[in-house]
Amino acid sequence: MTPANTTTPPRRLELTVTSAPSNLATVRKAIESFADANRFDTKGVAEIGLCVNEAIANIIRHAYRGNENRPVHVTAQMEDRDGGRIVITLRDWGVGIDPNSLPRRAYDPLEPGGVGLICLQQWMDTVTYTPQADGGMLTTMTRRRMRR
Amino acid sequence: MPDSSKDINGVVPSIRHAGDAVVATLRGEIDLHNSPNVRNALLKFLDENKPKKLVLNLAAVPYMDSSAIAVLVEALQRMRKTGGKIYLTNLQPRVKGLLEIARLDSIFIVVPTEEDALK
Repeated sequence: MTPANTTTPPRRLELTVTSAPSNLATVRKAIESFADANRFDTKGVAEIGLCVNEAIANIIRHAYRGNENRPVHVTAQMEDRDGGRIVITLRDWGVGIDPNSLPRRAYDPLEPGGVGLICLQQWMDTVTYTPQADGGMLTTMTRRRMRR
Repeated sequence: MPDSSKDINGVVPSIRHAGDAVVATLRGEIDLHNSPNVRNALLKFLDENKPKKLVLNLAAVPYMDSSAIAVLVEALQRMRKTGGKIYLTNLQPRVKGLLEIARLDSIFIVVPTEEDALK
């Protein structure tokens, strides 16, 4: 019998959910468990979880305009580069708007919106949006296990 | 009509009066799924009661996302219109981290405990 502390952590996670807000916690917790198993520290796990929450919430609100029955395909993968990093992808089949193409306004804490974007910018190392040929968007986020 | 003093869906505040303050205890994780319920109950209560001081005890809120932050900001704006103040107490680490990155930790009055807020 293999002791629990020598078990090889999963290298890949994959799940598909509908775009219902009730699924946010399910996906977030699955990603947090994956990051935790792959030795991200507590702060890193929490920040990655919130970023996934915010990115999927954006898909629900903007790409799917509140429709709760559309698919969101989520993957998480560990890579060895940069001392170990997590690569998370979110695939939607929504309106295909790249958030980076939208007009930016200066962040005002007392105005609605912008908090999710700040989290993604500060807590992930990279966030890219790739329009897909069959419609929708592939959002890819990465974060190193050890950040400076 | 929903009674704002009742717990709805396990998250919406249970509310009690303490002098000229109102203490609302939130409970559970708050994200886009349940933040609309929190918003409705909280804003309805503020509109009906217009308290001078609202104390939000977040001891039992281990997690919130930006939609929950938006509810807090909206409540703050509503309170400011009537000269009221909002105190946040018992912040858990994840909630504290989100408030900090949103630069709201210096806009809300954040104190360690309910008792500190009611002094």
